[in-house]
Amino acid sequence: MKRVLAYAVCILTSAMFAFPYLWMLAGSFRTTSAMLTAPLRLWPERFDLTGFQSIVEIGDLSLLRAAANSLFITGASTAIAVAVTALGAYAITRRPRVLAFRVLRYGFLTTMMYPYMLLVIPVYIVVFKLGLLGSYTGIILFLALGPIQFFLFEQFFRTLPAEVIEAATIDGASELAILLRIVLPMAAPIVATVAIITFLLNWAQWFPVLVISSTSDTWTLPVALLNLNGELGTNFQGIMALSVVTTLPVAALFLLAQRRVMAGMTEGAVKG
Amino acid sequence: MGLTARRWWRGEAVFYAFALPFAALTVIFGVWPILLGISVSFTASATALKAVPTWVGLANYATILADPGFVASLWRTLLYAACAVAANVGFALAYALLLNSRLIGWGRGLFKLLLFLPVVTPDVPGYVVWRWLYDQTFGAINAALGGLGLPAFGGIASPSTAMLAILLAELWHHAGFYLVIFLANLAICERALEEAADIDGARTWQKTLYVIIPQLRPAIVINTVYALIQFLKTFTVVVVTTKGGPNGATDFLSYHAYQYFDQGRYGEATAMASVLFVIVLGVAVGVYGLGERGRA
Repeated sequence: MKRVLAYAVCILTSAMFAFPYLWMLAGSFRTTSAMLTAPLRLWPERFDLTGFQSIVEIGDLSLLRAAANSLFITGASTAIAVAVTALGAYAITRRPRVLAFRVLRYGFLTTMMYPYMLLVIPVYIVVFKLGLLGSYTGIILFLALGPIQFFLFEQFFRTLPAEVIEAATIDGASELAILLRIVLPMAAPIVATVAIITFLLNWAQWFPVLVISSTSDTWTLPVALLNLNGELGTNFQGIMALSVVTTLPVAALFLLAQRRVMAGMTEGAVKG
Repeated sequence: MGLTARRWWRGEAVFYAFALPFAALTVIFGVWPILLGISVSFTASATALKAVPTWVGLANYATILADPGFVASLWRTLLYAACAVAANVGFALAYALLLNSRLIGWGRGLFKLLLFLPVVTPDVPGYVVWRWLYDQTFGAINAALGGLGLPAFGGIASPSTAMLAILLAELWHHAGFYLVIFLANLAICERALEEAADIDGARTWQKTLYVIIPQLRPAIVINTVYALIQFLKTFTVVVVTTKGGPNGATDFLSYHAYQYFDQGRYGEATAMASVLFVIVLGVAVGVYGLGERGRA
């Protein structure tokens, strides 16, 4: 009896958490008038594609361009984040007593405490001063810095067996060779974890993208969606369709790598 | 190149080369903007982007403190953060205990997965869907309440319920993260202590309260600090759903600061950012300190 009750609570909670996805999916295929008559219906009367057709052009931005921007900005910032943070964390962990590295680590951790949303305001001024407003470069470089990436890499490099590295040093291998031939192969799983988590997090970014952009040319899917949602005259079906397009790629990526992502995010938070 | 220099290059200098890009990004997008933000908060907004800004001392701080909207939004933010932290951490703790109990066998992984999915769902589409779920004509929530014969929920349209509506949407987005941290902590709890309690004939609630929860202190502290930082700077959900309304009911600090920024009032915006930074830092350090002291 208690067991039945426990399952009832879990199933009900799960249903409530899953409902917005199902409703979004149904809403993207159901006409606005069908939605108005039966807001709760989760299976479309018929698969109406006008919602998706209506978002092929979002104002003066094409959906294709927004999707390409999302892929490019997220992909590039993820690649840079992984490479730059891994190398930085590696140097800091291998030479923990070098003063410059201690200052760097401390400086980085302090800046990461600054509320992200508020950092974007002065970052706007910095990007302006660098002449990078409206550029992909400005957006990508800003998105390449995050605390969880650093914590995960630092945590991993601390567990590297010292004997292996010592042995290689005695054999006369250069530090670069040690990094490329010994450390990198061992680091493959953590690199994958950090890359996936960074991709998920940066795909969702909208505020820095909006602030650093000067035209809609560099907008990503979430920014386009925010814009569409804020327009007067509601294209409800189009909004749901664009929500689906924005959500589906990362939801799929997460489901494929769920254990890795959940373990990585937990560890990044707990060790941080 | 001499032998020592070559050895140094092969051994030590390479670490500086490794760290250089990371250091450059940290300075350009971390240290510089924060220092710049502080300095801009002491300058006149109109000259903030100029090479030689006009210094106005504490005038921007005086302006925002004299702005009744700021003071009101400060209290609103603190109230909201307190409620949201309690709701999120409380719910995640209760749900984690339930999922971890012997009552739940099959399906535990799926239940956890479904709660975590919103965490990695981009926040804009997530909140866009919530904005429409609350809608008075399209919305599924009022349709469901009506179907059950319950009174309609004002959602984001009514000043009295807007804050609750935002809290629920944010709980959907964030609670899975706290849940997973609790579950990770529960996984390393001493089963032997629970078995000992069983032998002593402890009831389930006694075991939970006196055996399990004390072992969850690390997760409770981490989650509370994370949630506080999270909900003190609540922003995206406001931009997507209410834009601070109705009637200012959801005009939180970060949104208030953003509006200054949007109007080009950089001095006031950065002054407000500095104030919020100090609050976030103070509260986070305070809570963390309390948690640490309690452990000693």
